[in-house]
Amino acid sequence: MDKKLKETILNPILKGNPITVLVLGICSALAVTVQLKGALVMALSVTLVTGLSSFVCSLLRNTIPTRVRIIVQLVVVAMMVILVDQILKSGEATYAIDKQLSVYIGLIITNCIVMGRIEAFALGNKPIPSLLDGLANGVGYGLILIIVAFFRELLGSGTLFGIQILPAGYIPNNLVILPPFALILLGCIIWVHRALDKDLQED
Amino acid sequence: MNTNSNVYTVVYTTVIVVIAAAVLAFVAGKLGPSQDANAKAETLRQMMSAAGIKPTEELYSTKNAGILQLYADNIEEAYTIGLDGTRNGELSATKDNIQLVDKLKPQNKAIKAGGDVTLPVYVFKGGISVIPVYGAGLWGPVWGYIAFQPDRRTIAGAYFDHESETPGLGAKIKDEAWFREKFSGKTVAFGSAPLFNLAKNAEAAGATNAVDAITGATMTSKGLNEALNVWFKAYESHLVSAVAPAEEEQTTNAEEEE
Repeated sequence: MDKKLKETILNPILKGNPITVLVLGICSALAVTVQLKGALVMALSVTLVTGLSSFVCSLLRNTIPTRVRIIVQLVVVAMMVILVDQILKSGEATYAIDKQLSVYIGLIITNCIVMGRIEAFALGNKPIPSLLDGLANGVGYGLILIIVAFFRELLGSGTLFGIQILPAGYIPNNLVILPPFALILLGCIIWVHRALDKDLQED
Repeated sequence: MNTNSNVYTVVYTTVIVVIAAAVLAFVAGKLGPSQDANAKAETLRQMMSAAGIKPTEELYSTKNAGILQLYADNIEEAYTIGLDGTRNGELSATKDNIQLVDKLKPQNKAIKAGGDVTLPVYVFKGGISVIPVYGAGLWGPVWGYIAFQPDRRTIAGAYFDHESETPGLGAKIKDEAWFREKFSGKTVAFGSAPLFNLAKNAEAAGATNAVDAITGATMTSKGLNEALNVWFKAYESHLVSAVAPAEEEQTTNAEEEE
């Protein structure tokens, strides 16, 4: 049991990473990685939403009528996303970040990772493992987001978390700020990930 | 129990949706006041940044309560006007009554349709008047606050914001201090056309009502230019007539003679 739990938590972060291996949630990975702060809040939000949605759906798993299960899941996920959005909007410190992330918080609803984990894991497992699976997938997603945001903010603005890192003479690279560069960066991360992990290589 | 019967399905989904709605309604009710306070403080920060009450960074590092206090300390009067330039409402000079961004969208429509509007004017101590502008950028709305000197045609400062312009391009209207600083000292050419010109190489001609557009952000610049011109036009009769206090009228005349 312990080993299985460990597997549940570690797999989504490494071998089964939702972005680099399952290639889910790419859209938001391109959109919200211009600044580290935004990426961090997005990562936390997605982690909370996947974790809690998986938990609730797992609690309900034996009662959900199979014909309408996607709709029921959608209601749960949407509720969680709106909750996260409302909470971010109400905090004095998080308000500005919520404004910066604008529609992307709301669009967590459409993030394939959330529904994907509910369908693939939560509907067949007990609530606690489902919660952990959801959280771990959020962390796996967030980890990639933060790596991408690190390079994009550093090279695109010369800052990290809004603090000037590169010397003042550095001319920010505009390409890095635009979404296509995130795709290039993501490609590089997938490349490195596959090069390091022989199991992921297809011939 | 048969979880696949029609009755069960209908009852189940209904109950789930009602529970979700109840939870959300409860949370929205609980968090509503603090969200409104955040939105209000944000608008006040932008207005006071334009008016030059404090440097922008300082305003953004000040807490909501401090912002409300700062506004209460610096505002002289706030009122609304119609398209003919006459006052049609008072915004009490307290923190409780300002027009937030969501009020600007319907007003923008009404201005274009020539309908009834209640356009806000915020007069800060020292005779600095702040007015909003609102329009469509590339991906979503763009808006801003323009502060006028007591002569009501020289721009004292500006602050722009947007909902979802492209980072690194259109988003520069908010992110780059040099862009908003360009507006300080410019004048609005009331009585002629265009009132203001935000366009490529506009500054080269030497006009005092021109600011260069942002490279690579053509649509955002165009949208902002339209927002400026539409809203300046709407405020024209009010700002030109330089209402109420006699001293302000004198200042206007003096400036014109120069």
